[in-house]
Amino acid sequence: MRKEGKKRWKRKEDKKRVVVSNLPSEGRSYKENPNRHYCGNQIKTSKYTVLSFIPKNIFEQLHRFANLYFLGIVVLNFVPVVNAFQPEVSMIPICIILAVTAIKDAWEDLRRYKSDKVINNQECIVYSRKERSYVQKCWKDVRVGDFIQMKCNEIIPADILLLFSSDPSGICHLETANLDGETNLKQRRVVKGFSEQVVQFEPEHFCNTIVCEKPNNHLNKFKGYMEHPDQTRTGFGSESLLLRGCTIRNTEVAVGIVIYAGHETKAMLNNSGPRYKRSQIERRMNTDIFFCIGLLFLMCLIGAVGHRLWNGTFEEHPPFDVPDAKGSFLPLALGGFYMFLTMIILLQVLIPVSLYVSIELVKLGQVFFLHNDLDLYDEETNLSIQCRALNITEDLGQIQYVFSDKTGTLTENKMVFRRCTIMGSEYSHQENAKRLETPKELDSDSEEWTQYQCLSFPARWAQGPATLRGQRRAQPLRRCHSAQVPIQSHFRQRSVGRCESSQPPVAFSSSIEKDVTPDKNLLPKVQDAALWLETLSDSKPAKSSPSTTSSIADFFLALTICNSVMVSTTTEPRQRVTMPPSTKALGTSLEKIQQLFHRLKLLNLSQSFSSTAPSDTDLGESLGDNMPTTDSEERDDASVYSGGYSTDGGYRNSTWDQGNIQGSGLDASLEEVLEAPALGLASPELYYEAESPDEAALVHAAHAYSFTLMSRTPEQVTVRLPQGTCLTFDVLCTLGFDSVRKRMSVVVRHPLTGEIIIYTKGADSVIMDLLEDPACVTDTDVEKKMRKIRARTQKHLDLYARDGLRTLCIAKKVITEDDFRRWVSFRCEAEASLDNRDDLLMETAQHLENQLTLLGATGIEDRLQEGVPDTIAALREAGIQLWVLTGDKQETAVNIAYSCRLLDQTDTVYSINTESQETCESILNCALEEVKQFHGPQKPDRKLSGFCLPSETLPPTSRAAIPEVGLVIDGKTLNAIFQGKLEMKFLELTQYCRSVLCCRSTPLQKSMIVKLVRDKLSVMTLSIGDGANDVSMIQAADIGIGISGQEGMQAVMSSDFAISRFRHLKKLLLVHGHWCYSRLARMVVYYFYKNVCYVNLLFWYQFFCGFSGSTMIDYWQMIFFNLFFTSLPPLVFGVLDKDISGETLLALPELYKSGQNSECYNPMTFWISIVDAFYQSLVCFFIPYLTYRDSDIDVFTFGTPINTISLTTILLYQAMEMKTWTIIHGLVLVGSFLMYFVASLVYNATCVNCNSPTNPYWVMEGQLSDPTFYLVCFLTPVMALLPRYFFLSLQGTYGKSLILKAQKIDKLPTDKRDLEMQSWRSRQRPVPIPGKAQHTHHPVPPVPERAFRASTPKSSSPPERKYKEDWVLHGEKCSRDHLKDHPCPGDSSAKLSSREYLLLGPSKTTTSGAYSSGQTDEYRPSSRGSHRRSQSSLTI
Amino acid sequence: MKRTSKDSRCKLPDNTALKQQQLPAYQLQLSATGVLSGFFATGVFCLGVGIILILSAKSIKEIEIKYTEICGNCAKLREDATNFDKECTCSIPFYLSETMQGNVYMYYKLYGFYQNLYHYILSRSNSQLVGTDLKDVGNCAPFSKSHDGTPIAPCGAIANSIFNDTIILSYNLNSSIPIKVPMLRSGITWWTDKYVKFQNPSSINLSSAFAGTTKPPSWAKPVYELDEEDPGNNGFLNDDFIVWMRTAAFPTFKKLYRRLNRIQYFTEGLPAGNYSFNITYSSSLFLGLAYTVTGAVTWLASFSMMAVHLLLKDRKMLFIQQ
Repeated sequence: MRKEGKKRWKRKEDKKRVVVSNLPSEGRSYKENPNRHYCGNQIKTSKYTVLSFIPKNIFEQLHRFANLYFLGIVVLNFVPVVNAFQPEVSMIPICIILAVTAIKDAWEDLRRYKSDKVINNQECIVYSRKERSYVQKCWKDVRVGDFIQMKCNEIIPADILLLFSSDPSGICHLETANLDGETNLKQRRVVKGFSEQVVQFEPEHFCNTIVCEKPNNHLNKFKGYMEHPDQTRTGFGSESLLLRGCTIRNTEVAVGIVIYAGHETKAMLNNSGPRYKRSQIERRMNTDIFFCIGLLFLMCLIGAVGHRLWNGTFEEHPPFDVPDAKGSFLPLALGGFYMFLTMIILLQVLIPVSLYVSIELVKLGQVFFLHNDLDLYDEETNLSIQCRALNITEDLGQIQYVFSDKTGTLTENKMVFRRCTIMGSEYSHQENAKRLETPKELDSDSEEWTQYQCLSFPARWAQGPATLRGQRRAQPLRRCHSAQVPIQSHFRQRSVGRCESSQPPVAFSSSIEKDVTPDKNLLPKVQDAALWLETLSDSKPAKSSPSTTSSIADFFLALTICNSVMVSTTTEPRQRVTMPPSTKALGTSLEKIQQLFHRLKLLNLSQSFSSTAPSDTDLGESLGDNMPTTDSEERDDASVYSGGYSTDGGYRNSTWDQGNIQGSGLDASLEEVLEAPALGLASPELYYEAESPDEAALVHAAHAYSFTLMSRTPEQVTVRLPQGTCLTFDVLCTLGFDSVRKRMSVVVRHPLTGEIIIYTKGADSVIMDLLEDPACVTDTDVEKKMRKIRARTQKHLDLYARDGLRTLCIAKKVITEDDFRRWVSFRCEAEASLDNRDDLLMETAQHLENQLTLLGATGIEDRLQEGVPDTIAALREAGIQLWVLTGDKQETAVNIAYSCRLLDQTDTVYSINTESQETCESILNCALEEVKQFHGPQKPDRKLSGFCLPSETLPPTSRAAIPEVGLVIDGKTLNAIFQGKLEMKFLELTQYCRSVLCCRSTPLQKSMIVKLVRDKLSVMTLSIGDGANDVSMIQAADIGIGISGQEGMQAVMSSDFAISRFRHLKKLLLVHGHWCYSRLARMVVYYFYKNVCYVNLLFWYQFFCGFSGSTMIDYWQMIFFNLFFTSLPPLVFGVLDKDISGETLLALPELYKSGQNSECYNPMTFWISIVDAFYQSLVCFFIPYLTYRDSDIDVFTFGTPINTISLTTILLYQAMEMKTWTIIHGLVLVGSFLMYFVASLVYNATCVNCNSPTNPYWVMEGQLSDPTFYLVCFLTPVMALLPRYFFLSLQGTYGKSLILKAQKIDKLPTDKRDLEMQSWRSRQRPVPIPGKAQHTHHPVPPVPERAFRASTPKSSSPPERKYKEDWVLHGEKCSRDHLKDHPCPGDSSAKLSSREYLLLGPSKTTTSGAYSSGQTDEYRPSSRGSHRRSQSSLTI
Repeated sequence: MKRTSKDSRCKLPDNTALKQQQLPAYQLQLSATGVLSGFFATGVFCLGVGIILILSAKSIKEIEIKYTEICGNCAKLREDATNFDKECTCSIPFYLSETMQGNVYMYYKLYGFYQNLYHYILSRSNSQLVGTDLKDVGNCAPFSKSHDGTPIAPCGAIANSIFNDTIILSYNLNSSIPIKVPMLRSGITWWTDKYVKFQNPSSINLSSAFAGTTKPPSWAKPVYELDEEDPGNNGFLNDDFIVWMRTAAFPTFKKLYRRLNRIQYFTEGLPAGNYSFNITYSSSLFLGLAYTVTGAVTWLASFSMMAVHLLLKDRKMLFIQQ
């Protein structure tokens, strides 16, 4: 199929793909199908088939150089002239190696095959002409030109052009998390001209021709046109393309025609296939093997030449010179050549055959222990680490660069409303903060919690399993939550708190996001505000001056209205709620009905029912009110979900009774419920689906205060107030969010007052500038108040920002009818204009969004995963540079970077946003120059990721003056860098940076960055990500790590290791990485030593046997020597040895640097060990030689002590290399030693004539009865190991390396060890440690993650100036003139000066302002000095 | 693209010392004290052993007599191929100033005879030597079969190049009549060689057992006539043959030839006095010897005799023991 396609492309060299409907040709032969040349939808990622496996696998394995070498040796063995002892025997090792590898490959391929099969056999609905309806088909049978119908929550099987959507406006919502990791919903539009179809799409009437691009890997680029039968053309773009792997959301039915299928889909093209990964040690090893081969050839050459010379000394053939079978002698030169070959066979062991097998085994062992580490086990997902690539464990110990995804990797991708400020008063939501911390408590004392739960929430208890079941029913969900269900039931006791709140099938609505515990102080005020609104509706009084109450009401209305959140219910298929609840008379929503139903049930079932009203005071108030029950129920709703904190069950019980008696409304609703039980069962709980998780969080927050968003249509928004009244706002205009304006506005008409209100929500930096100028207000009191509110809000915003919260300001503006009408006409004009439409639209938006009244601000937390800052700090300390590559918005990314302490408050942050290459280059130059000036002569060391070094080497005082550098760069700029060949400059700049953030980057860019760093800096890279958008990055890096359980399995499937939490990375790298590396590296070195040492014995003997290639050691003994006697200790060593304990490694991350610098295995250690091996082999040979010289000893009797000696030496050497001695180590070493004797004795006692030339019969026994043997076997190893022993002891006594010091620390008893570690840390890092009392250098004490202290707002010190300078370069405004006007050097010096002033203090910033005023563009030197994100943005 | 089925087993790893890599461990760390103590301990031990060894070696007496030069005439005789079956004898007198007490062993020592050459070592047939299959001449080529195709027994280059000088030690008690020093040829081989590895083919008559085979080309007599007086020393069981077949490890080697039979005058060992070696190039068996003369300086035949203090009884010493 593919071939055909290629052929066709060859024939037809155009750049187009023409797709027509398959239906006319259905049923006809394949050849007549117009789309037959296109790739089918079947995918195949497996490499082999059953038949092709053996030849193909062997062929591939022979690409490995070592295998080829061994094969060559085997072939050589069969060449008669070299006279190998037993050619067949030599086949054993290579066969074992090939077989082991083949089994491994087969297993991996089988897994790929299975996963392919699963994917290929997924089902979808395809239109069939025969059936005249849609029929079920497997994905693999889908063809280009087919019409596919997709329902809500289905995964799209191929790249499909959208032709129909059940949505009346022709929109189809899409979740692209599988592709780019963005969990927000994207809109796709039906191709123009098709949206008018009202009822149902008729595929058979489709007779247009689609012309589009050939398959490519640009996810967001697609264009083409559709040719109608009447020759008219309709264009379409990527907004009409549904990509394979995405999920349909919120749209009941969508129909489209397949454009690309199978391997030609954009998703597949973006996945560059798996790369064969070789670990760095293996690469290093391969070069060393080349050295060994060189050595081997040298030795063989010596043998050959020696043989030739030795033979030349005889004038005639002596009696021991045996002629060949025919009695003739070889010419000397030829004899020499043959001898060369013989020597190769003899000395082949020099290339460690067993090394490869051993390495594989050791890695298996290492993987086994990785799997078994309790610390890497995540209880929630019931997953331990998965090692998918078995051959790169040791690379974990050498990582220099970590590339991390943000969403889902660093963060949990759960937005949580944390706190808000309204009209200058802060509501810290402490209860909410506490609630967010409870999951931890849950783990610690689950029993208590369970009890607590039982006591206070019987309703939830009873409901729990039911909900669970319900959710299991509604399980065709997103992601792998389905995998969690059985686990939850397993951990029933633990997950009580979670069971009931396990995630509904909607984006961004896990319990933690949904449930917000209302603030005690705010709640009554909200009640008042709601009442105020209510009264507004009753009497419609004239608008009073902005009171706090009205502002609170406005604030929550804004939270509810000003967004693009869609409302849907959980019923399957989900129906978007577009209609407001029909009858207000009922006074209750469906939700309430359901709740009542539950209550009723519970009343009947359980006597010990306890209501859960949030707080007593409220209740009292509400009791006195007109509609108490509904009210309390409303709040019940919130508090039940949140697992509230009130415990006074008895009182509530009585309250409930009261309410029951008093509240006639309840009775009424009970009746209603009884009348319509079906309705109650339908459980029309509302779910919010938002484009961005923040919006959902805000809506949920508002919901907690009973401002519930009920429905949304493009024209209307319905909000239910706490009292149950539903207000329906007419939406007059929506100005959507964009990254330039950084705000969104909704213009609504208030249903009660009829006012036209603009609610604006946006980034604080923007909104604060658009506020109404207090000076304009006439009333001085109001002016004062406004100023005060503003200042206080700003203070709160700073506080939020410091805590790493995402801040949003909420503002409002009331506009007169006339103004609005005028504006609308402007807007229409702008929309109608063809040229610079975007600019005009922006302008109109600016016209509207000004003179705003500040309502308040919110702080939302993108919850970091547990332990992320800690992990990042540890990684950084370990000398690893961390880059964050995310597709997310810049602001979000920077926010997260701050909160996970990737960027410090004191850092200088450069952000580069430009599209033009020239600008980009000049910025890079400037930044570089400036950074260099800062860091002075300290050139960053490329190998050592040097930017970390300056900070460490500098004394603390000067460090305070030299801020670290962070770099923020976006996707467009990256494009410019890649296109403009600026990679090297970019890399040079990043060398100075403490951290680099790449925002808005596509998967391809991510992988390009990884490749760039990996190749250009030749460093070890690691990528970690969780979504399908990280797949290419994961594959590009030396090590790819997938985070499982967050965003589907794609990342995990393509990763080398899959962990469940980011924090696991710390132990994985620092401990396991270090261990794996040091173990394997030292084992490899040991193997080289071992083989060289052993083989040289044979070599030395050649000088005494006329270079004839004879051995003094029995052939089998030789094989056994490598295979059994000396193989196990290195294996155990490689699997179990710990040079430093895990605790020490975790406590002292610097130790990781030994792996980065390849301290255990580098050319130096290799050659030292080779030289040592030569020395040892000399000793091992010549001491026995001198002992037995001039005696009647025979060849193989001489070989026995030598063999024994070398065994002893090699084992003792191993013993000296081992850093930890466990019982296993000891057993294996002693066991190997004993095994040698036992095996030799048995072999020599049984084998009379079995091994032809050697006749080892009784040799060992003879030797063992000879005291000389014992003496020799004692003396020689001692002699041989003396230098190494001496060296090691010197090192142990005087060694200065970190590892040695750490080893010493390790030996100390625990208490001393802790002391020692502390002093070490203070020694190693003059930099203040977080939490210590060195705030003098750190203006802002880094606040521990999520540590909300009780009274932060008041006690916190006034926010410090952040020495931060952003260069925001808006690409579209770039002009070269500026560059000409301000050549780079001038720029940089000027900027430098400005920075210096900035450093000195905010008061002097005017100077920089003066500088910037020289530029045509605005340069605002952070006029709002107290704000953290004060962006002194320089716009060129 | 989802994995739905997952085994619900708890994947919690076991918390065992082994699996968590928490086995109690001793950490080897070399430090000055450890090293020094270890060093001195080893040194003292070696010193002690060395002293003992030196003391014991002091009493070993060894006399080495080279006869290649002295018997040069015989070698010259051999040079001419026509004289190959002529017997040649030479006599080497020497004086033993001190009595050699205890067991005395007589060795012959070859210089530069590479018995350890790869092809040389291979050139034998163990299955033939163990007497199971005389026809098996496996690796012996070109010494496997005679021209007419009969297998050679014993085949191969090792057997073919056997050292075949006869050495007789005479003691001149008085200046007149030399007494032949009684020598034992038994017990000079490994027990296992004599009784396990080398076996004559089972038959009543040794010559009939070897029927169908022929002698190696350099040998004067067939293998079953090596020692016709002693059937236990004949055929493959011949001690000299067995000793030769155990190929030496180095080009310069010695092999045990005879040991003193401690009877008559010699119960104490070899008394001091005049002795002489009578060396017979008894036959032309040893083709190689011709080369001694003709060219190869590298390999010299000589005779060596050593005496050693009786240190350890039951081993084949490279020494003559008193």
